[in-house]
Amino acid sequence: MTSQQLPPGLIGARTRRKEDPRLLTGRAQFVDDVVLPGMLEAAVLRSPHPHARISSIDISAALTVPGVFAVLTGHEVRDACATPQPVVWRMIPDQRMTDQYALAVDKVRYVGQPVAVVAATDRYVAEDALGHIEVEYEVLDPVVTLDDALAADAPLLYEDWPDNVSCRQTIPKGDAATAFAEADVVVTETLTYGRQMGAPLETRGAVMSWDPFTDHLECWMSTQSPNLTRDLLGEVLGLPVDHIRVRTPHVGGGFGNKFDFYAEEVLAALLSKRTGRPVKIIEDRLESFVANAHSREQRIEVSVAAKADGTITGMRGTVWAVLGGQLATVGIGPCWLSMALMAGPYDIPNVEATVVGVVTNRSPYGSYRGWGQPKANFAHERIIEKLAHELGLPANDVRRRNLIPADKFPYPSQVFYYDSGNYADCLDMAENAVAERGWRKRCDAASNEGRALGVGYSFHIEISALGPSKIMNQAGLQHSSFDEEVVRIDSAGGVTVRTGLSAMGQGIETALAQVAAHTLGVPLDSVTVLHGDTQTNPFTGYGTGASRGAALGGGALLRASTRLRDKVLRIAGHVLEASPDDLEIADGVISVKGAPGGPSITMRDIGDAAYRRLDGKLPDGEDPTLEERDVLDPDNVAFSYGTTAVLVEVDRETGRVDVLDYLLVHDCGTVINPMIVDGQLHGGATQGIGGALYEEIVYSPEGQPLTTTFMDYLIPTATEIPRFETLHMTTTADHIPGGFKGMGEAGTIGAASAITAAIEDALPDLTLHLARLPVSPPRLLDAIDVATASKENS
Amino acid sequence: MKPAPLDHVRATGLDHAIETLVAAGEDAKILAGGQSLVPLLAMRLAQPTTLVDLGGLRELDYIRDDGDTLEIGAMTRSRTVETSPVVAGAVPLLPAALRYVGHVTIRNRGTIGGSAAHADPAAEVPSVLRALDAELIASGPRGPRTIAARDFFDSFLLTTLEPDEILTAIRIPRQPSGSVVAVEEFARRHGDFALVAVLGAAHIDSSGRIAEVRISIAGAAPTPVRADAAERLLVGRTPTPELVRAAAAAASDATDPGSDIHAPADYRRTLATVLTRRCLTRLVADTERTEAA
Repeated sequence: MTSQQLPPGLIGARTRRKEDPRLLTGRAQFVDDVVLPGMLEAAVLRSPHPHARISSIDISAALTVPGVFAVLTGHEVRDACATPQPVVWRMIPDQRMTDQYALAVDKVRYVGQPVAVVAATDRYVAEDALGHIEVEYEVLDPVVTLDDALAADAPLLYEDWPDNVSCRQTIPKGDAATAFAEADVVVTETLTYGRQMGAPLETRGAVMSWDPFTDHLECWMSTQSPNLTRDLLGEVLGLPVDHIRVRTPHVGGGFGNKFDFYAEEVLAALLSKRTGRPVKIIEDRLESFVANAHSREQRIEVSVAAKADGTITGMRGTVWAVLGGQLATVGIGPCWLSMALMAGPYDIPNVEATVVGVVTNRSPYGSYRGWGQPKANFAHERIIEKLAHELGLPANDVRRRNLIPADKFPYPSQVFYYDSGNYADCLDMAENAVAERGWRKRCDAASNEGRALGVGYSFHIEISALGPSKIMNQAGLQHSSFDEEVVRIDSAGGVTVRTGLSAMGQGIETALAQVAAHTLGVPLDSVTVLHGDTQTNPFTGYGTGASRGAALGGGALLRASTRLRDKVLRIAGHVLEASPDDLEIADGVISVKGAPGGPSITMRDIGDAAYRRLDGKLPDGEDPTLEERDVLDPDNVAFSYGTTAVLVEVDRETGRVDVLDYLLVHDCGTVINPMIVDGQLHGGATQGIGGALYEEIVYSPEGQPLTTTFMDYLIPTATEIPRFETLHMTTTADHIPGGFKGMGEAGTIGAASAITAAIEDALPDLTLHLARLPVSPPRLLDAIDVATASKENS
Repeated sequence: MKPAPLDHVRATGLDHAIETLVAAGEDAKILAGGQSLVPLLAMRLAQPTTLVDLGGLRELDYIRDDGDTLEIGAMTRSRTVETSPVVAGAVPLLPAALRYVGHVTIRNRGTIGGSAAHADPAAEVPSVLRALDAELIASGPRGPRTIAARDFFDSFLLTTLEPDEILTAIRIPRQPSGSVVAVEEFARRHGDFALVAVLGAAHIDSSGRIAEVRISIAGAAPTPVRADAAERLLVGRTPTPELVRAAAAAASDATDPGSDIHAPADYRRTLATVLTRRCLTRLVADTERTEAA
């Protein structure tokens, strides 16, 4: 486990982020800052009905509104597009696809589905014009819930399907039937994970400029996946990709939402083509609650078979994915991953897990930080807690008995090979840390005052560093997932890194700069990281998601920088008349090892030797310039992992839960910048707390979304989140240069499991088995009432 | 989220504001801080033809101590009221409640009159006015008139103000010296509207008897609820846990909550009971602590 250990240096340093002065002083540029001469602004008319046929659309009045330049409807969009909106994850070969366009054609299947779009002089006029578009709908019975969709007489969203099921797949490992037949104990649970979404501070947006003479499309977009976007725009619009340039300014939060490819970018491009002017489209906050990818909502049935000592011998599970009215870019992807990772960190020999994708009249289900993993985690951690309760064992004893032992890596799960880990050590470390911090004593002291405090744990794994392109293609991905990085030293010794990854607040500029500076031996300040332009920057497969940026971008850059360093040393050796092997680079100065005060040469001199005054300095046979590129398409993904421990207080009279303390013990291999990793974990955990206690997209029984502002969709704010503490372990990924693993999604994964366990621990006199998220105060009070009544009756 | 076209009129004086309001008819709206109205405009849920902006009316921005009553101009910012020593001395329940209104930045813009006239039953200001038997002064083409708080709040977001009237001031009777106040608010997050809030003020005499008590409840009916029956149970009695529980039950009985996505009606009724009990318990404890000191 040490082959990728790096010497101490900038990799591993808690340096301040290069991008922060810009971001914190309001000087960063976002897509809405892009203003082009003659630019129009667009607004989308959205369906007010969850399920209806479009009888007619009359745009004539809207076209007469002064300042309106164009109005598009569904038939025009379909005719202008070469393909429907793409679905890039196709894990299940016989899945029924929904093949929808950027505007609804003939039928709408969720409130908020785009029906028409207007381009006008500004957004005010465009919104005025929306009020003049007359749409006649034939309203159909809505399919609002999973049960509605599965009912025998359910209305069909797609009339050429036999039912509302888009796909179904079971992946077995071993022999679950025998395991369950021979088990000492079987426990079963049905869990409901609420519908939620990422809510970046900057909503989605695009500026599109279609050159009518050359058919070149200039795009400015707030996207996590600029190269994928370019390819998909090319497919949908029927344009060669060399005609498309995607520029990505700073992304004001991505959270997976901005990995996906949406209707609005296609509409803005078509409006620009129609009007001959650049067109800006910015999703407003109100729209975002129906137009941004929804996520998380699943019903999960999970059972385990176990021996009396807590050894789990088998697991069965079914993920019921509550998809929306059409497939989003990632299709069944996140829900499939919930199924594929349901056994989590546990060494369970026999697993049989199924995913069923069901369409409903809700907004489409797409990417959100964590993808399927928070749900998979909720399934395996809730069932561990229930099994422990059933057997009268501490839950962590059951965890410890079943965690994959360190000597079993690489470990074949249902689908993936987990690369490395020391899971039991991680759990021990968390328990010891909690003991040192005296949480249990705080619980006891509170109990004496009549207050209810509890401690809960969860163990999570996180798939990261996605991934090996050919294997991902075999799994159904219609795109690659390697990463390309370019590093250049200029004529004055400055370093420029070019990346295809997007800067979305996660600190990728700093992380990549640390890798380059560490490897090249130059000061961090001498490295500039350029991102956000497909025309001038390398190709990153997939996008800036799946916890892959630092691991794959960092790994590729490490290799490129290592080769560039070798060239620097060859030139320096020539000038200093020394063997390159005897040289070292520190702080931008190359000198002979162990000879302080001896001859040396600076990186500036090396730049000069490679670009300007070559004679006598650049060795014969060495090309001028100093540039290297590298492509990392790893052999495997990498699995990070961690233990979450939380201390909560429950108000038994109101059902209110306050998270008092929060500890993460985490292992993501080699850490590039602990401050960035901590920040990522804290941010993810905050979203996890939101999903556990606050956030839920609610629909009325008629299919109307009821949470369309931040007054109703409750994101935890600074006052609702605790102080976080993180402790690190390092088990390197030995198939990734540098040993990096990703961790961008980690914080979201284990939060709900630990919090629900802590709530139950706070009420030890009751048997709660919390099975529905979020645990809102009324829901918890109901559960307390039910458990109290059941105790009194028994 | 862009408002529909409208005329924005920045009033130069109260008379100008009333004239504009009369001329615009029923389609006018008054802008008095904008913390509720501006989002409604942006979402086009409100589409007035004229916006009468009171932002320049310094004459409505004042706090005046008249001895027995405190008068606050309708355009006084919530944060100004919250931090005023004059207000804290005369009606301590008001600043105690204002601390729960949104966040500081919201209180910097929002006005006391705007909050009263918006009449959100979950808001704190209307409940304070009900608890303390405030009077509201309105002006219109027919001149000024005074409306008792119990007559002012008509229903959800509705008051008895006429469409051509402007709320100009509120007048609150001074609380007796030695009063204690307590606000027990249950909101999902800090700064959110209350699911239920119980606002209490009491004066407990040196013999330990409750000389005066005022309880109002926000978020549990279409208007702020004054818990009269609970107050009657308590006045003249020495508080005991049993008495407090009985009063809490009576307070809850006075509520008529609705259900929404955040809480069903039953849950709000439970909150009314729990929070009233906690509020009264705090009032008693604070009195004891004050006397001990």
